Amino acid sequence: MNHNENCDDSLQPKDKPSTNLEPKQRRAKLPKADSEDANPPLPAATENEKPAAVEAITKQLIADRSPSPSVGPGPQTDEMATVVAKSVSVKTPQSFFGEQPLPALEIAPRVLRYQSRRDFLAFGAGTLAALAGAGFLLPRDTLSRSGVRRNMDSAEKEWFLNKALRIDDDVAEALYSVNRSVPTYTKSQITPLKNNYNGSTPDPGYIPGWKLTLDGLVSGLSISLDIRNLLTRFSVHEQITRLVCVEGWSAIAWWAGLRFDDLLRAHPPMSQAKWASVESSVNLDASGNPDPYFMSVDLATARHPQTLLVTHFNGQPLTVEHGAPLRLLVPVKLGLKNVKAITRITYVAEEPRDYWAERGYSRYDGI
Amino acid sequence: MRLRFQKLSTSAALPNDAKSTSTLPEQAGVLVVRKHHFLVRWSHWLNVPILLGLILSGISIYWASPIYQHKPDPNTGSFDVAADIGIWICAHVPGQHHYSSPPDWIYNHMSLGPGMLALALRLHWLCAYSLMLNGIVYLAGLIMGGGWRSLLPRRTDLLDALRMFRYYLGFPFAKLARRHWPHPVFNTKYNALQRAAYFSVPIAGLLSVATGWAIHKPMQFHWLAALFGGYNAARVWHFWLMWLYIFFVVPHVILVLADGWDTLRSMIVGWSMRAERSEVVANES
Repeated sequence: MNHNENCDDSLQPKDKPSTNLEPKQRRAKLPKADSEDANPPLPAATENEKPAAVEAITKQLIADRSPSPSVGPGPQTDEMATVVAKSVSVKTPQSFFGEQPLPALEIAPRVLRYQSRRDFLAFGAGTLAALAGAGFLLPRDTLSRSGVRRNMDSAEKEWFLNKALRIDDDVAEALYSVNRSVPTYTKSQITPLKNNYNGSTPDPGYIPGWKLTLDGLVSGLSISLDIRNLLTRFSVHEQITRLVCVEGWSAIAWWAGLRFDDLLRAHPPMSQAKWASVESSVNLDASGNPDPYFMSVDLATARHPQTLLVTHFNGQPLTVEHGAPLRLLVPVKLGLKNVKAITRITYVAEEPRDYWAERGYSRYDGI
Repeated sequence: MRLRFQKLSTSAALPNDAKSTSTLPEQAGVLVVRKHHFLVRWSHWLNVPILLGLILSGISIYWASPIYQHKPDPNTGSFDVAADIGIWICAHVPGQHHYSSPPDWIYNHMSLGPGMLALALRLHWLCAYSLMLNGIVYLAGLIMGGGWRSLLPRRTDLLDALRMFRYYLGFPFAKLARRHWPHPVFNTKYNALQRAAYFSVPIAGLLSVATGWAIHKPMQFHWLAALFGGYNAARVWHFWLMWLYIFFVVPHVILVLADGWDTLRSMIVGWSMRAERSEVVANES
């Protein structure tokens, strides 16, 4: 760390001309610095400084204030009669887009060495920070596969990643407009839509006795509607839109049903409601056990003219695979918000639980 | 010709440059050129963890629904081209015969691991927002340091690029035959091939961001998706842009190592010892 001391001392006088150091001390040290400057070829010097100790970082940080004035033509003390850095580049008239020669500088070797050491230390610290960040953010399974055995899963990590996701949700919410329509397609552009019930489609036995229950209404009552009720009281709208899955695949399908907005007008939610919790009690998990599905939908999205409560698919009444007799179609959101076989809609003031948000996915899912 | 101006290392200089270098030992300073702006250097290195994170999480996302699919193979049941490649690797590459799940070989080696779509998406957004911010920092550095002028394509580029191609093609043979094989001379910061690469990569970054938004918000930005040929086509664009970075990084790293310590160091410290002769001569006259 001999270099380090030299740098600190030689740079201090310029920064503060009336320094506390005794003139004798300064004179005693400077020749040593000069003689050393002449010795090693520079690249070797900077190479040696790369793996510097941690205490050097703090030292350098203290000295950090001085280097920029040293490059410019600042006032010099007697001891620093030698030019520290001067610009030797030539300014020739150039066009605005024309490449100009790189600015050349003449820099005192010790200043150059000091700056190199500072930059290498900073980049070394940056590398360590990046590694620590990766260790912090990557899941345990990924780390263990690359040889890291320590469990670094933590509540802070979840908090941080959720925060990052929240920012993206806020962006999605800012992008949404009730007046912006999603693209519609022609019948020739329709693509197949797979049954995404993951192998355990509910038994269609629930369909004949099916009822939609509405809760959280301004009337304070709970209302039950059957499918004939819905189809006779509301006008049916058709649309051919794209359904986009969080996994990346998508399908263009032909839907028909009533507007969620019309239902909201016919049975207004309580005044402080901002969310709808849309549930399907007939949903099953992969092994066929009951696994109620519940989704949060903000009322702003529910009021979008293309948000439908779908009763028909490809011109036919919905089949059990696609959520008979009533499913949600909300094309401005990912497929996982498009709840099949809705059994209950509850209007609430606070953001309700969300099946996939509880499994690490986004809450808003606006696309 | 580029020279290394190093104090007390005049022996490294070529003999015909003796006139300009002979005065150097008498000078107190070392001649360096400012090459990369502070912000350019930092954003350059920040790209490394950001792009790694984007690729790892991106392949995890791809795994959930591969773009390149075919009818299920009657023998393996595979419908995914990446799974086919994994099966091929396990059948033909020595040491991989006993791999437990050949169809997952590619994904297990290039992604975060199985069953991590939710986390991969979150990491992808985090890295994507970081990449966008980093891109702004990079552009700010290019503007503040004036470096953007060195990246602009110019009329002579096609011919100069051919000269560089010829140099690279002939280089291994010249080495083997121990023949002198001079590097083409340019008086610009970058040669035409470098310029083409350093000019295209930021544009590819811009396209990655644009296709990323087109996939991420295909309803609000449906016009953007339409610009790339629709939602599905935008996914294909996004996928191949990733390969563009991989195809760029490999020769980029090899060439910077071949070019030497000064070039690599200049991306950390900002200055280079390779001062242009013309500038020195002009200064002395």
